[in-house]
Order: sequence, then C-alpha cells, then structure tokens
Amino acid sequence: MEAFRQEIILGVIVLYMALCVAIGLWSMGRTRSAGDFFIAGRGLGPIVVSLALFASTLSGFGFVGGPGLVYSVGVSSFWMVVISATAFGLGFFLVAKRIRMIAELRGCMSIPDVIAARYGSELARGLVALTIVLGVLGYLATQILAMSVVMQSILAGTERFADTSLFSCVLLSSAVLVFYCVTGGVIASVYTDVLQGLVMMVAGILILIAAMQAFDGGLREAGEIVLADDSESMMPFGAAGIITSLGWFFVFGIGLAGQPHIVTKMMMNRNLADNRSILPLSLLGYMVSAFLWISIGLVMRAVVVGGSAEPLALPDDAAATFLAMFASPLLAGIVFAALFAAIMSTSDAFLNIGTAAVIHDIPRALRGRPVRNELFWARVVTVVLAVVAAGFALFSYYRDATLVALLGAFGWSTFAASLFPVLAIGLNWKRATTAGTVAAVVSALAINFTVQLAGVTLPWGISGGLAAFVTSLVLFFAVSYATPPPKLARDIDRMMEI
Amino acid sequence: MDRLIAGMIFTAVLGMAAILLLIGFTEAPQNAAGVAHGEIPAMLIGGDGAARLADIGGLAFVFNCLLLLFTVLLCTLSVSPDKRTPVFFGWMTAVFVTNLIVWQQMYFGHLAFLASGETGWFLGFPAATAWQVYGVWFAGVILIAVYSGGFRSYILSESDERRFERLLREARTDAEPDFSGERISESRR
Repeated sequence: MEAFRQEIILGVIVLYMALCVAIGLWSMGRTRSAGDFFIAGRGLGPIVVSLALFASTLSGFGFVGGPGLVYSVGVSSFWMVVISATAFGLGFFLVAKRIRMIAELRGCMSIPDVIAARYGSELARGLVALTIVLGVLGYLATQILAMSVVMQSILAGTERFADTSLFSCVLLSSAVLVFYCVTGGVIASVYTDVLQGLVMMVAGILILIAAMQAFDGGLREAGEIVLADDSESMMPFGAAGIITSLGWFFVFGIGLAGQPHIVTKMMMNRNLADNRSILPLSLLGYMVSAFLWISIGLVMRAVVVGGSAEPLALPDDAAATFLAMFASPLLAGIVFAALFAAIMSTSDAFLNIGTAAVIHDIPRALRGRPVRNELFWARVVTVVLAVVAAGFALFSYYRDATLVALLGAFGWSTFAASLFPVLAIGLNWKRATTAGTVAAVVSALAINFTVQLAGVTLPWGISGGLAAFVTSLVLFFAVSYATPPPKLARDIDRMMEI
Repeated sequence: MDRLIAGMIFTAVLGMAAILLLIGFTEAPQNAAGVAHGEIPAMLIGGDGAARLADIGGLAFVFNCLLLLFTVLLCTLSVSPDKRTPVFFGWMTAVFVTNLIVWQQMYFGHLAFLASGETGWFLGFPAATAWQVYGVWFAGVILIAVYSGGFRSYILSESDERRFERLLREARTDAEPDFSGERISESRR
C-alpha cells in the first residue's frame, strides 16, 4: 500500500472532486431563480444548513494554517478553536432569528440587502457590498493558491504528473469550483458543503486517533515534551502571550457573527424554529473537525523539539509532515480530501456572496434597481470573480505577494470589525443609526488597511484586527448615540420586537 | 431596559478600549509576544512568563472579564424584553459566572505554575491549559443549551411565530416596502 501512497491520495481526491461535480449537475435543475442561486430559496433543512454552516466556517486555514500556528506558537492558537462554542452561541443569539425573518419579510438575498432593509440606507448597502467584494477577492485568491500548491505537491510525488505546473493546478482546482458554483449556485454550494463537512468530521476523528498514538504516552507525553522545552508554549497563553491570545479570543469569538459567508447560511433554513437544532449540530461538526487543528500542531511541535524529526522549513508544513510520518495512505488521502473540502466549502461561500454583491447589491446602491436577468448575470459574474481571483493567486505566486496579502487583510478580522457592529448589534438595537454604521465600517477598513500597508507592529502582540474591532465598536455606539434616533420602517420595527 | 443593556455594553466596550490603550502604552518586555526559538527556525517560545505578566497581567485579566460580560450582555440584548424573565437572567448569570470561574482557574492556575514550576495534568494537558481547552468549551456549551433548550421560552415562542406570520401577511398586501418610518418605540431604544 505504501508503494502507491501518492496514487492512493490522488485517487481519493479525484473521487471527492468527481462527487462535487456530480452535485453541481444535480443542483442545476433545482436552480431556477436568483433567489435559488443566492439563498437556496430559503428551503433547506436543519442538517444541511448545520453542515454547510460549520464547513464554511472551517476554511483551509484550519487544516494548514491552524496546525502550523500550534507548531509555531504553541497553545496560543488554541484560543481560536476553544472559543467556537461561545462564538456559535453568540452568533445564533444575535443573528440567526432576525436575519431569517428580515430575509423573508423583505425578500433579502444578501447581507447588503439585509443592511439596506434594516437601516433604510443605500449608502450602508454600498459600503458593506464593497467590503464584501474586496474581501472575497483576497480570500478566494489565497484559498485557490493554497489548493493549487497542495495539489502540485501531491502530483509531484507521482511519476506521471510530476511536472504539472502550478498554473495547471490553479486551472484545474478553479474549474471544479466554478463548475459546481455556476451550475448549481448556492444549492450546489450547500450540498457540496454537506459532503465536505462529513469528510472533515471523519478526518478530524481519524487524525485525533493517529495523534494520540504518535507517542506511547499519548497527547500528555507530547505536552510534556513541549513543556520541558518552553513551559510558556504549553501553558494557556502559549508563546505568543496573553494579549495575542485574548485578541484571537475576541476576534474569532465575537467576530463569527460578522462573517458574511457564515451568516448568509442563516438565511437559508426552511423554518425559523430549525435554528434550535442547527446550532448544536453546527458546533458538533466544528468541534470534531477542529481536533485535527490542535492534535497535529501539538504532536509536530513535540516531535521536532524532542529531536525525532527535522525542523520544518515552514510552520504550514506541519500537517503534510504529520501525514507523511503518522498516517496510512488512505488516511492521508481522506485528510487531503478534507483539506480540499475545507478550502472549497469556504471558497464557494465567498464566490456566492461576492457574486451577490456585484450583480445584486452594488447596482442597487448605485442605480436604485437591480440588473435584469439576475440569474444569468450571477452565473457570468461567478466565472469572472473566480478568474480574477485565480489571476491574483498566480500574480501573487510568481510576481508579487503584496497585492494578495493586502486583500488577504480583508479576512476574518476585517469582516468581524466592520460587519459585527452593523449587522449583529444593529439587528438587535433600534438606536443604531446609519451614521454609526458608516463610522464602524470605514474605521475598520481604514485601520486594517493602514496596519497592513504600513506594516505597523503594535506592542504586546495587539493585532490590527483587534484594534480595528474595538475601535469600530466604540465608534458605532458613540456615533449612533450622537446622531438623532433613526426612523425605522414599520415592518422592521415590528420584526425587531419579536 | 434595552437602553440600560445597550449602555452597559457600550461601557464594557469603552472599558476594553481603555485597557487596550493602557496596555499599549506600557513598556513591553522583549518576549511580550514571543521570541525566536534558539535552535529551531520558524518556531517561537514564550520565555519568562512571569516577566510578561508582571506589568499587564491584571489589566489583561480585567479585559477578559469585560469581554465575557460583553458577550452575555449581547445575548441578553438579543432576547426580546417580554422574554427576559428572572429565570432567563438566572441562566445568563450562570453562563457569566461559569465563564468567570473557568477564566479565573486558568489565569491563577498559570500564575501558580509560574511561581512553583509544578503542575497537575488533566486529560492530556497541564491543569491551567486543561481549563482553557475543556473549560472554555464547556462554558460555551451552556450558552448553546440555553439557546436550544430554552428556544421556545427565550428565542421564538409559538405566539412569536404567529406574530411573524401576521406581519408577513400584512407586508405582502403592501405594494411597496414602508420606508416612510415612524419614531422607534420606547421599549427598545
């Protein structure tokens, strides 16, 4: 079996991608309107929404960057994971019910639609749509690049495809993604998320078992080795320190309710009361999958500091090296398929919300009306966005990483800082005003951009994302209080009473 | 009531912002956010943990207490006023207190380790880290239990569903969405 390791891994990945394509074809017949394309006609059951929600939450970062962070800074990065229960809980308390209500009440198909309905402001809609488009390009580019680099490294281990270029890998991985997103829209996206979520959960459990068997004394022995090398790395604040850790706790915990690719899923369930079961099911899926993040990183740090393996060239090599050392070819194939699943489930969610922003929201913000034949243009723009993002990915790889890094700054923390106050608090606090919204979004974008462009390093490991988040919250409340109380539309006012 | 809760949330946010500023202006030791491992590239170590906490540990502790309070207050704000019963406030207090206990055990457990160099272990992790890994998750699960278990009591009752259905029917009879507006009701300002 070991002799055919790369072929087995490749076979599992090909099987997984073929299933994604099949789901795309199956979904095509079910996508008849823009509403179907963007929010699945609000007709999904609780299990589908649960799996789609957690699969979108856990991106390729969780499978590559997460273990790499544990390898690099120890327990500090656990904070991004352990906060998930509170993060999901808070997200559902603040957003799930009201966003589903407002979506049905006003026929909203996107987050900017919701913002426009809540605040009665096209300016707020336009700002949020612009933020989403910038974020989508950066996020998609980094995800496509990550997927292509992994694909190329797998192919390099085979005889037949060893010389496959990165360009071909970008083309192939983007093609599969675009195919099912264009044919089936968000219906294909969520049903592939179901497959992807299940693959991730299986991988999470199997990896935890493999990690516990890596040392005779299980995870405790790994922990003791790390502790003996540097005690701080194994204690609650890790090597990166208490402020970095609490910053991650803040941005990842509170910020989940501001992630457009996640909260959009909360608009898709068939019944409002389904939220009752969607929340625990989503969390369960996330927790099981996140075993991989913690266990791989910890074992790899222990293996390296204990002298059993050579130091990694890059922290992000932690997962691949772990699989080479401790996983059977079949398990490695499942985990690589899970990695592709994590990347693609997040990418398709971003592709979907980016398309909505371009053809649905920005035209409304600028012209006051949508484009004609939204479904057709949605499919066209999906392809265009993917091509532009793939172009960014290649440009970044071959020429200059600055542009993608800059757009990459529009990741989780920028969405958290700019959208959490506006959406999560705004849906629950009638006193929030359009001026407060503009102040929050603009300050979040400005701080994140400045920190990224100027390469500012804040003391004590305070991240730009944390500074932006706290600032936008302060401004959101302060400007809302300083401006006259808003006049809410009657239906929105009544909806917020429920 | 919403006005009070929103005011408390804003106060908590201001408190966190002030603490961040204070921390930012405190001189940081070299290892504040980790230093390079002496032998292994691409790896950081924390080094002297006591030195890192000496000047800002108390501020960081209060920062997280405010963050936990902020979380619970936001959940409370999201529940409509007529459902904020004494039992609901009891649950929110339980969530907050559980989170505080977990945080206190984690933080002071770490300080005790720094002082003694010794730690117990629980399910694969040093005691203070086990509070982080298992305790923070558990405290969050209580919040989820309140949401799911108390869904009909605190989130969406059957009469709420009927109210929403009625609102939908009325909205569908209107030709245009009503953006003309009216002053917001006192209860949720």
